[in-house]
Amino acid sequence: MKTKSDRRSVLKKLTAGAGLSVLPLSLANVFAASEKALGPKLKGQINHSVCKWCYGKIPLETFAQEAKKIGLKSIELLGPEDWPTLKKYGLTCALPNGAGMGIEKGFNDPANHDELVKSYEEIFPKLQAAGYTTVICFSGNRRGMSDIDGMRNAAVGLKRLMPSAEKYNVTLIMELLNSKVNHKDYMCDRTEWGAGLCEMIGSEKFKLLYDIYHMQIMEGDVIATIKKYHKYIGHYHTGGVPGRNEIDDTQELYYPAIMKAIVETGFKGFVAQEFIPKRPDQIASLKQGVEICDIA
Amino acid sequence: MSLPLTMTNVFAASEKVLGTKLNGKINHSVCRWCYSKIPLDTLAQEAKKIGLTSIELCGPEEWATLKQHGLTCALPWGEGLTRSLDKGFCDPANHDELIKGFTDIIPKVQAAGYKQIICFSGNRRGMNDVDGMRNCAVGLRKLMPLAEKHNVTLVMELLNSKVNHKDYMCDRTLWGAGLCEMVGSEKFKLLYDIYHMQIMEGDVIATIRKYHKYIAHYHTGGVPGRNEIDETQELYYPAIMKAIAETGYTGFVGQEFVPSRKDDIASLKQGVTICDIA
Repeated sequence: MKTKSDRRSVLKKLTAGAGLSVLPLSLANVFAASEKALGPKLKGQINHSVCKWCYGKIPLETFAQEAKKIGLKSIELLGPEDWPTLKKYGLTCALPNGAGMGIEKGFNDPANHDELVKSYEEIFPKLQAAGYTTVICFSGNRRGMSDIDGMRNAAVGLKRLMPSAEKYNVTLIMELLNSKVNHKDYMCDRTEWGAGLCEMIGSEKFKLLYDIYHMQIMEGDVIATIKKYHKYIGHYHTGGVPGRNEIDDTQELYYPAIMKAIVETGFKGFVAQEFIPKRPDQIASLKQGVEICDIA
Repeated sequence: MSLPLTMTNVFAASEKVLGTKLNGKINHSVCRWCYSKIPLDTLAQEAKKIGLTSIELCGPEEWATLKQHGLTCALPWGEGLTRSLDKGFCDPANHDELIKGFTDIIPKVQAAGYKQIICFSGNRRGMNDVDGMRNCAVGLRKLMPLAEKHNVTLVMELLNSKVNHKDYMCDRTLWGAGLCEMVGSEKFKLLYDIYHMQIMEGDVIATIRKYHKYIAHYHTGGVPGRNEIDETQELYYPAIMKAIAETGYTGFVGQEFVPSRKDDIASLKQGVTICDIA
């Protein structure tokens, strides 16, 4: 098999290189090890998911088959209409969508609360029936509002949903997004703010989506921030910085170290690849992303 | 294999350069203080073996040793208050002493054949960003004629104020770039410390691309922890070095991590190897 022999030759080259060096270049070792995971089985330390929108041109049916081949257990940011397809392929949806008023109109504005509450209460039973335990939500844009007013408003709106969230065992996960490059004026753009909102709501049914790409753009200090705030984090996204493309050597973050830190916090949820493949073979890029994150 | 695992390739390639020759895209330096247990004479010999051409953050008392080993000092420091991190240019009360100190050291830097000297903003002590920037500019501008005359650039370090240097003022690239504009001379620039700025603001490559014209020096360090810059930390240094080289940078990159492993020279060699992009 072509794949296997190529892999073997890379490993061989690596071994030869390592023999010459005075010290172990352990970054190389990490990748040599990750190559062994290529193919059927991943290591099980990280639960891998992927965001469908990054592969918009690929039909969900095809994508589900490819995802399974790689070893992914979930395709996410999909609504009720797509859940049957996922089930057909034995995939879960680690973070569904299908409720709310979009990214810019969210819980920070009391004018949206009635509609948001209605929308999320409609989806909770569907989520539970599908066997899903999370749903994404957003703060909305700031529109001149102060941090504390926005936090207070968001807490008031979200608290209305907590009893039914508890009843249906669904956690609302608010995404942290950058407001510098992709989502100008978005309010939930700092981990500290999100953690404050979690405390204000005071329920295990509200958590944060720490998007590594977005937060590297906004604040850096990724591992220290994850260690400090992990109890408020229910989900992770990836992406190369800068550019939001492949998470490989073309960008500034070393994802295996970040994944290790996430595992060390005791995280049992999913890490979803949310980069936009730049190379023509998008599935190969996805596979590479999963491999990079699939730590031993 | 269906796709190239390019991180692996980068390191496989970089291994070839271990030992004899570095690639020449990055000028490698190292900060003296991270190896304080090693006598300078020994460190200089080891540095040369690795292929470093500079040991930095050395004062006038150490320059002779560097010369003996044919090494430069990419970023020297002075003496007295000019070496102080927490008492700097943001407080006008320090200006007289700082100006005296830099006036004394700048000709010595030139005489030694060096082109830069480090300086600091000092701590904030309740001062707002704009007042601090203005104060710094007023003090630094007084030194610019002398700096220009002796062809010595004052390089202010960006430090994190979250973990290591609480209350330090020059803790954001944006602020430093503002100060550069306010001073308005090519003889005042910034030291972008990748470790410190990753802690403070992240977005390393985009920030370097945006502000590189204000940057005259770079430091490294693993985040978090300030140890080895390898797979134990969150930054992928080869990509950052590539971005630095792409800005047309011809200065030095100084390794400024504190080795956590026993063999500090092996750690230094590894750091240089990681940054030595092809």
